[in-house]
Amino acid sequence: MDRALETSELSRTFGEKPAVDGLTMYAERGEVLALLGPNGAGKTTTVRLLNGVLAPTAGSSDVLGFDPSTQGDELRRHTGVLTENAGLDDRLTARENLELAALMRGFSADIARARVTELLRHFGMLDAAEFQTQGFSTGQRKRIALARALLHDPEVLFLDEPTSGLDPKGTRDVVDLIGWLAREQGRTIVLCTHFLGEADRLADRLAFLDRGRPRAFGRPADLARELWPGLGAEIDLGRPADTAEAATIKTVTGITSVTPTDFGATVTIEHRSQLPELHRALVEAAVDVFGVTPKPPTLEDLYFALEQRITADPDFTLLASPAAAGEEPAGAGEEPAGAGEDPAERLTVRP
Amino acid sequence: MTAPLQERTTELEPVAHSSFGSVPPPTKTDSWTAIKAVVRRDITAIARSKAITLPMIMVPTLLLVILPLVVGLAARMRTSGIGDLLADFPPELVDPIVSRPPEEQLLLLVNGYLLAPLFLIVPLMVSAVIAADAFAGEKERRTLESLLHLPVSDRDLYVGKLLSAYLPALAVSWIGFLAFSLVANAVGWPVMHRIFVPTPLWLIMILWVAPAVAGLGLGIMVRVSARSNSTQEANQLGGAVILPLIFVVVGQATGLLLVGPKLAFLVGCVVWVVALWLNIRGAKRFTRDRMAAQA
Repeated sequence: MDRALETSELSRTFGEKPAVDGLTMYAERGEVLALLGPNGAGKTTTVRLLNGVLAPTAGSSDVLGFDPSTQGDELRRHTGVLTENAGLDDRLTARENLELAALMRGFSADIARARVTELLRHFGMLDAAEFQTQGFSTGQRKRIALARALLHDPEVLFLDEPTSGLDPKGTRDVVDLIGWLAREQGRTIVLCTHFLGEADRLADRLAFLDRGRPRAFGRPADLARELWPGLGAEIDLGRPADTAEAATIKTVTGITSVTPTDFGATVTIEHRSQLPELHRALVEAAVDVFGVTPKPPTLEDLYFALEQRITADPDFTLLASPAAAGEEPAGAGEEPAGAGEDPAERLTVRP
Repeated sequence: MTAPLQERTTELEPVAHSSFGSVPPPTKTDSWTAIKAVVRRDITAIARSKAITLPMIMVPTLLLVILPLVVGLAARMRTSGIGDLLADFPPELVDPIVSRPPEEQLLLLVNGYLLAPLFLIVPLMVSAVIAADAFAGEKERRTLESLLHLPVSDRDLYVGKLLSAYLPALAVSWIGFLAFSLVANAVGWPVMHRIFVPTPLWLIMILWVAPAVAGLGLGIMVRVSARSNSTQEANQLGGAVILPLIFVVVGQATGLLLVGPKLAFLVGCVVWVVALWLNIRGAKRFTRDRMAAQA
């Protein structure tokens, strides 16, 4: 796969204040790259830099083979942006908002009209097409803005909080759409979001920013593996594990920690393949076992763990590269993440 | 609770999205197409904004329709001359007026000469009101960022914004002048028995000085707008600091304009030079980076 976008030490300051400070990341074509981080992390500035709206003060970037800082106008013909605020002119109708944007993109009036009708129908907004957008709900505004971002079928989409303000169905529809655009249509998507569930479902890679500084970049599973070398698992005994049972658990090869819980115990194990042995050991010790379930960390776990690490160590940075081909990482599913990728890109952790 | 990372499937469940159909490939927009699109967008929006259209209609109506109507009606009732009123005016202005019959003098003075400088307020006001909204309004409505993400070059965007204010200013001025000419001649017909407006001075004001004055207001207000965060702020800055300066300049200039068409033309040349300098400099200094940094 080739890279749709790539940055190298990309930086931008406003006055003395760095908004983005040394961001190095990439996304391959057809991937969803999630930009995560608290408010003021630099996500929106990153999108502006990648689309050539802001010029970097240092570093470089490449999007679809264009240098955004010098070829912004050309690049923007191939990218679509959904800004956090829908950015609709309330004095115009939904159709006018879209058609005038289409004209600015170089569509002829006839093609613009047909295209807008097609998109309004797709997003279920055709009935509202001739109404001024003032008074539209947040969901309706998002749909119009999303339609505007898709007018020209862009190769790269920058989506800033695409589901904020949407109801559950609207959220699901948009998440589905983003997934479809990436997986089925091969579009590259840069997704800025605070909704970890959405990022979890969609993101192939993530970049975690904090006050402009890139703190983590890589595939979510690779980052998690770096933070938690072992695999978590829950043992359901229907009651707290007693001392003897905890001792039995500890005898199993690969167990690195055991913590009794109300329903049994949680353990950390070196490798997923050691779970059956754990189960066998308990059964052989005449312990009634209701279940042994691997509990890999979620993206939410990852997010907050990163925040915690950053708080504890202001210089903490985690750049994860996928595991080498053929190596099955602890806790991974059937498909080792990053199989086929360059082994030279092995994970590096720098203070 | 989000799904475990290692267990997350890479394939999303199938989603029934139809294709978006055949989309023409992104076209390379030439400058003129992009500028026209920006102008069309802005003028469509301006036409729907009461805050902008009301002053654009009311001020010209007052100055160019009601005022000449009232003066015309008053002049029709006056049979004596206005020699005493003209004592402080320059002889170049007084002579052609006092040479006319007494009942024509007031009409000639007011509708033929004195309203000419007032008329310049119209292009100045219209261009300033719209220009104040050009960028500050976009920031206020939070539409600026989506505009900056479009493939329109910095220069085309700036020129589009200038024309979005300039063209309505010219249109309102010329339509207003047409209305003025109709009213002034109609109401003055019983006294004058001829079409006396436009005078040569009026023609120079309309065709030469007014476009320059509109450009001057624009050159200043677009830059004020680009630096302001709201239309109100832009208007306050323009109104409090900049527009009085322009009024002084215009007032002085138009006082000179009363002397005759030649000097009016020369003053128009000066205003054009300043307006063009301001606008060209503004276009050169305008960058979307600067705008985005404020957005």
